[in-house]
Amino acid sequence: MSNVSVYDELDQVIDQMLAAPEDEPQAGTPLGELVAVASELRDLPRDNFRARLRLELEWEAAGRTVSAIGNSAQLPDFAAKPELTNTESLPGLFGKAWSGYPVRRSNMALSFALHAIMVLAVGAGFVMVKSTLPRVDTRESVSVRLDPYIFPVGATESHGGGSGGAAEKIRANKGAAPKAAREQLTPPIMLRNLQPTITAEATVIAPDLALPRTRQIGDPLSALAAPSNGPGVGGGIGGNAGDGVGSGRGPGRGNGKDGGCCDGLYAVGNGVSMPRAIYSPEPEFSEEARRVKLQGEVTLLATIGADGLPRNLTVVRSLGMGLDEKALEKVRTWRFDPARKDGRPVAVQMNIIVNFHLY
Amino acid sequence: LDAVANLAGLANLNQERRLIEAAQSDPSRFAELYESNFHRVYAFVARRVNSRDEAQDVTAEVFHQALRNIGRFQWRGVPFAAWLLRIAANALADRWQHAARGVEVPTDEAQMENQAGRAESAEVERRAMLFQLVDRLPADQRLVIMRRFVDQKSIREIAQELGRSEGAIKQLQFRALETLRSKMGNTSEEHP
Repeated sequence: MSNVSVYDELDQVIDQMLAAPEDEPQAGTPLGELVAVASELRDLPRDNFRARLRLELEWEAAGRTVSAIGNSAQLPDFAAKPELTNTESLPGLFGKAWSGYPVRRSNMALSFALHAIMVLAVGAGFVMVKSTLPRVDTRESVSVRLDPYIFPVGATESHGGGSGGAAEKIRANKGAAPKAAREQLTPPIMLRNLQPTITAEATVIAPDLALPRTRQIGDPLSALAAPSNGPGVGGGIGGNAGDGVGSGRGPGRGNGKDGGCCDGLYAVGNGVSMPRAIYSPEPEFSEEARRVKLQGEVTLLATIGADGLPRNLTVVRSLGMGLDEKALEKVRTWRFDPARKDGRPVAVQMNIIVNFHLY
Repeated sequence: LDAVANLAGLANLNQERRLIEAAQSDPSRFAELYESNFHRVYAFVARRVNSRDEAQDVTAEVFHQALRNIGRFQWRGVPFAAWLLRIAANALADRWQHAARGVEVPTDEAQMENQAGRAESAEVERRAMLFQLVDRLPADQRLVIMRRFVDQKSIREIAQELGRSEGAIKQLQFRALETLRSKMGNTSEEHP
């Protein structure tokens, strides 16, 4: 007989025995002795009865009579859920309990005191952490760096400029100035011929300032978004005459004439000193940026005039979340000791890099 | 061998006497007497009642009475179990008015010492030993025995509860019974 069949046969006999408890187990079978043992196991006490009775006895021996919880003839039923009355909302506090453990008032009071201290300690910890964390989170730093704008280095004042337009009713739109070149094949124009015979990139005749490029060309100093070549004439973009961009005249860029750019500006270096900020309140963090913990740099392009005032402020590198506006708002109020050439104040163009940092 | 057994029995009696005296002066020491006699009293009662619940009720009643009256116990050289079984017999008699299964229950130590009483005592001891041995089984075997014979669950139900195969549960059941049979045999040989 295999082991498996022995296990099955024994189990079948036990099943019959449990189903008919009055029948005596059959003796003399191969499994007879095991079945006889199994038969007596039907009288085993429940699993927790022994431990429960011991607890009851310890309780009684400790001086807490069963009558302390009510009926003296009835032992507490540890398996049953206790039903509390209003007068017994805290039976353990008065030396009574349904758990079976003898409870002393002093122990209960000590336990209550320890729990209260623990709750207070945890609560105090939360308060301390809560009151210190925001300070850490809102600590912020804004640093400003002045960089000389990449400008054709020269000891002489730059001249030139350009403009143009298509005699439109509104001013030229805002956009990036076209690429600079020595010769101009195609003037900048917003509303271009969509089927040109020969394609060529629009340019202006001016030194290349490595200005930021965007897909939309226009006058960098304009505030209008609607596409327009401006009220000027001559084919460029602007309010004057010529093939350039700006308010001057000619194929260049800016307020001068006859090509070139940046009339009246100097470049830092080669005898031209850096302007020095003498009043520079720090920009503040915007609420949105602080909430999402945004940090980084905003780069502004500014012309620092000979009078020390920042002008023509434009955002070269944006950070968003209101930080660009915060940077512009404060930098407009700055005052500079202007750049100087041969001791004479001159206007220069430069980058102002505002670093917003949270830590 | 008889002399050795008598010496061992004498040592046990002396130890029991010290436990009784300790419990009489400090009732919290009664737990030691309870632990050494629980299975004996339960086995005695369980043979005479029809249900497990009733056996547990009477057993609890016996020990509560014993604890309350331990101060009145007088040592006469008879095992403490005899006193407990007399309380149990009285409790059963009160319940059934001397009609418990038609079996006469011993009502004093002297009656337990006669031939029928000795046979009865031997049977009680044997059952008490069996119940103690169940407590000493490996945990998984003991759990299967308790579920099968106390809770009267089927092999399938136990297998589902323990997350094992039915074959594994049958094997545990077999091994547990085999262990109990083997140890009971050894005990009988040691104490014929």
